[in-house]
Amino acid sequence: MAFAWKAAGLTYNRYLAVAARAVRRSLKEGPRVAAERRGQMDLRFAKWENGKQGEPQSLAQANASAIAAQAESK
Amino acid sequence: MSSVRFARAAFRARPAALRVPLQRRGYAEAVNDKIKLSLALPHQTIFKSTGVVQVNIPAESGEMGVLANHVPSIEQLKPGLVEIVEEGGATQKFFLSGGFAVVQPDSQLSINAVEGFPLEDFSAEAVRGQIAEAQKIAGGSGSEQDIAEAKIELEVLESLQAVLK
Repeated sequence: MAFAWKAAGLTYNRYLAVAARAVRRSLKEGPRVAAERRGQMDLRFAKWENGKQGEPQSLAQANASAIAAQAESK
Repeated sequence: MSSVRFARAAFRARPAALRVPLQRRGYAEAVNDKIKLSLALPHQTIFKSTGVVQVNIPAESGEMGVLANHVPSIEQLKPGLVEIVEEGGATQKFFLSGGFAVVQPDSQLSINAVEGFPLEDFSAEAVRGQIAEAQKIAGGSGSEQDIAEAKIELEVLESLQAVLK
């Protein structure tokens, strides 16, 4: 099956995350506040080279640019 | 002596005669069977091996109803409504954000999704607002990824709007 999001370089994991985010935002006030906390992700990483720590980066941002770069190269 | 042999033959014959009705399965019996449903989210278990009559799921390959003794299969789910028909005809409805349904050979159905809520938890107003926003992004001049994500959101929201009516 061909999915439009796949052509744009998005992974199935990303597709599920976007769909879940839309569902959470559609909830009524009460359950929404409790649910939206689950969608938050703030993971950072740094690359170590020659015993020195590189610039810490946000994983979400690095993922998004990697997806864009991959779609570009196709 | 001969009477003993006769008794033995009768003794042997009986179990075979008893087995025959058990092997026959009528339609009514099959319908009475229940399917064991497990509906799990990463943070919550909604059903855990609960016997239900029928489950309607929105598979990528089309809407399908799963009864007991369904052929084993794995189905990718679209964001959509899962209907659970319990014994007595009562139905429960959940909107799932997409995931997988696995039918196992022993009348077990496992559904895994990222988010799932009963319909009364949704706000039609929030859905309308998001559709307008997503349409703006999908028709705009953002990056290919932004447009693809907006289209995913539209798919979810339009499906949600259709079931909330």
